[in-house]
Amino acid sequence: MSILKRIAYFVGLPLLLIIMWWALTLGEPNFYVPTPAQLITTFWEVWAGERFATDFLPSIIRLFIGLIATITLGIVLGILIGSFRWLRSLTEPLLEFFRAIPPPVLVPLFILLIGINDQMMIFVIISGSIWPVLLNTVEGVRAVDEVLSDTSRTYGIHGFSRVRHLVLPAASPQIMTGVRQSLSIGLILMVISEMFGASSGIGYTIVLFQRGFAIPEMWSGIAVLGLIGIALSLISKAIEARVLRWYHGVKEVQRDS
Amino acid sequence: MKKPLMVGLAAASILALAACSTGPADTGGEPPSSSNPTAITVGVIPIVDTAPIWLGVEKGFFSDEGLDVTVQPTTGGAASVPGVVAGSYDFAFGNYVSGMLANDQGLALKYVTNGNSTAGSPDFGAVIVPGDSDITSPADLAGKTVSVNNLQNIGDTTIRTVVDDDGGDSSTIKFVEVAFPDAEAAVANKQVDAAWILAPFLNSAVANGARVITYNFSDFDPGLDIAGYFTTLETYTGKPELTKAFQTAMNKSLEYADSHPDEVKQIVTTYTKMTLDQLDAMVLPKFSAEFNREAMVKLGAAAFDYGTLKAEPNLGELLP
Amino acid sequence: MNSRMRNTKVSNAILGLTGILLFLLAWEIAPRLGIVRERFLPPASEVLVTLFEYFGEGAFWKDVGETMLAWAIGLTLSVVAAVVLGLIIGSSSFLSKSTYTTIEFLRPIPSVALIPLAVLLFGVTIESSLLLVIYASFWQVLLQVLYGVADVDPVAENTAKSYGLGPFARARYVVWPTVLPYLMTGIRLASAVALILAITAELIIGSPGLGYQIALTRSGGAVPEMYALIVATGIIGIIINFGMRFIEKRVLAWHSSVRSEVGA
Repeated sequence: MSILKRIAYFVGLPLLLIIMWWALTLGEPNFYVPTPAQLITTFWEVWAGERFATDFLPSIIRLFIGLIATITLGIVLGILIGSFRWLRSLTEPLLEFFRAIPPPVLVPLFILLIGINDQMMIFVIISGSIWPVLLNTVEGVRAVDEVLSDTSRTYGIHGFSRVRHLVLPAASPQIMTGVRQSLSIGLILMVISEMFGASSGIGYTIVLFQRGFAIPEMWSGIAVLGLIGIALSLISKAIEARVLRWYHGVKEVQRDS
Repeated sequence: MKKPLMVGLAAASILALAACSTGPADTGGEPPSSSNPTAITVGVIPIVDTAPIWLGVEKGFFSDEGLDVTVQPTTGGAASVPGVVAGSYDFAFGNYVSGMLANDQGLALKYVTNGNSTAGSPDFGAVIVPGDSDITSPADLAGKTVSVNNLQNIGDTTIRTVVDDDGGDSSTIKFVEVAFPDAEAAVANKQVDAAWILAPFLNSAVANGARVITYNFSDFDPGLDIAGYFTTLETYTGKPELTKAFQTAMNKSLEYADSHPDEVKQIVTTYTKMTLDQLDAMVLPKFSAEFNREAMVKLGAAAFDYGTLKAEPNLGELLP
Repeated sequence: MNSRMRNTKVSNAILGLTGILLFLLAWEIAPRLGIVRERFLPPASEVLVTLFEYFGEGAFWKDVGETMLAWAIGLTLSVVAAVVLGLIIGSSSFLSKSTYTTIEFLRPIPSVALIPLAVLLFGVTIESSLLLVIYASFWQVLLQVLYGVADVDPVAENTAKSYGLGPFARARYVVWPTVLPYLMTGIRLASAVALILAITAELIIGSPGLGYQIALTRSGGAVPEMYALIVATGIIGIIINFGMRFIEKRVLAWHSSVRSEVGA
């Protein structure tokens, strides 16, 4: 597909929506909905200045560490739990229990146990975004093709080798689905974690603006989140393309034949 | 056929956004009277500070003025201002810095009556430190971490003034946000150096060894008004009889509450989970029907000095 | 059900119970030993007693009902919307490509950021909770459906096409079975998210329900009550999860991941 076409797809619908938004706000100014022009100028004022270093970067770093920890832990635990049914039965009720408790309720508990610091915020990110990775990994492990599974057992492939050559590759499409989801959840949790005891960060800034009724500034913060979301998704797509090269390749061959 | 669907959805949602942000709901055009009561909803935080309105409703002060009041407990400031703007609440309870912030940004809010004021020394709110802390005076707070329930609001504004007046440099204080229920634990576990706490958590903390550094409300100004009942400017100018009725009933409730502390404690047990024992150990806020405008000017000036407000508030617009 | 399968089910249940008991033990000991201050985290026994007292109160069940109402309505609406939109978008490469940026932009926006908007539009009512619930759950399911549609076996689809099956028939016989496992995972995830958002909305906005009660106990300093309600939330989450798994097993009885377990 030509570059021009690719760009058109990328910005087409968003541009259309922005135009509609601009048209609808042409009337009298609305306190809670800024015009596109307002938003762009506010965005630049707020985020291009020193806030970039004081708020944007710390949040991104926390998010990054949290996501990497999430993915690693999620896959490792997912493989363990997916492979041993007794482990899954042991932990499942507990995991479901904690998963159901909303983060704003859990955070005060974390503060109690961990303290008011970066570790707590990273922990909050992990505690919520690990679930899609974990669950999808477990599903992926369980759904390994029986024939492949039996064949490798017959050939005496056990333990770590088995994981590396059978389980992981077979489950990887499913795992990548989970990873993709955990990215946006991680972002949401980063915001929530910064609502408690924080003194810097994107989420903290958004809440501050919200509290101070600085509405265009608040929307600019939300726009930042959306942009980070797009960036994360592009990155994960790139990673996915590499990791699942063989899977996509198989599909493409099937499609073309 | 499919693209218009998405476009239509998007348009509908943006339209909803734009259209729905109109004025407050209509509560009837007739002046309220006992024979034809007007129903109103007042959003309040279910804490000791709002006892007067609960008491006033129970005593019939509001129905005397022809108002059928539904007191709606809110979980905090997040909902009260949008709630009033959207018309869910006709009036709501909020602290004065929040109101100043709103007007600073162009939202036209107007306080119609006072809500509660500082009780002097000792007070129902204070900055505490762990018992073994080496902080002994407000000036020592410089360079330390202090938690407040909301940043850029009445807590840090009053604390900063107190610290500066005591000779410390308040700009070196690191403020973090910790809600009152969690602040006690944060101080006890040394996760913050000091915390601003209100009763009843204040009493529990002190009973467990915490020390008071300053009663920041009264140290800021012994006549400081802390919160009041507000509405939109639109309601204030568009429904003068309704507003007047509310003001009369509310002021009567405030005066009654101030002179009947036992009844205040009694009513608090009905809308919170607090016990009479807890309440007896507490200092109650002062309930006054009069505004202390000098203290309010000072508050506005301080908020402006510390960068919370873009300009000093116009009390003529903010207060009746 | 033969005795082998029955044993498996029993041992699963026992293991689950063991896990819970171990956790409760830790929770009981930690405050009593002073690892955490008892004032801030009461021991498990105290919280559980408070919880049982709640079970006897009508007001408690009313709050549970309000929360579940928001959950059920929100979940249903978002699943329906996500399935419809997902199938439409997924089956057209034009739509998939043009909506990509918009979806990726809107998806990570936390529902919490939409709270002032929700209150502005609907006030402090169940509709505000619904806005948050739907906004969050919708993306979960949509993504899964899109992934499912993308995973459709091209050979099967081409075969169906060459046999003259129209788009609706193809959707029913080829696309739908492929999408279904993905969809069920999506619904299971979304059902948990919906619960979390329902309670979060009630917590922060104050719309009626369990979350609202949790906020009240927090600001009132009623610590054991607060933890009791939190435990209630967790229990509801467990029930929902097991319910969803049950439904999933029924619906996907033919799929290999489920079949392999039944036979073991």
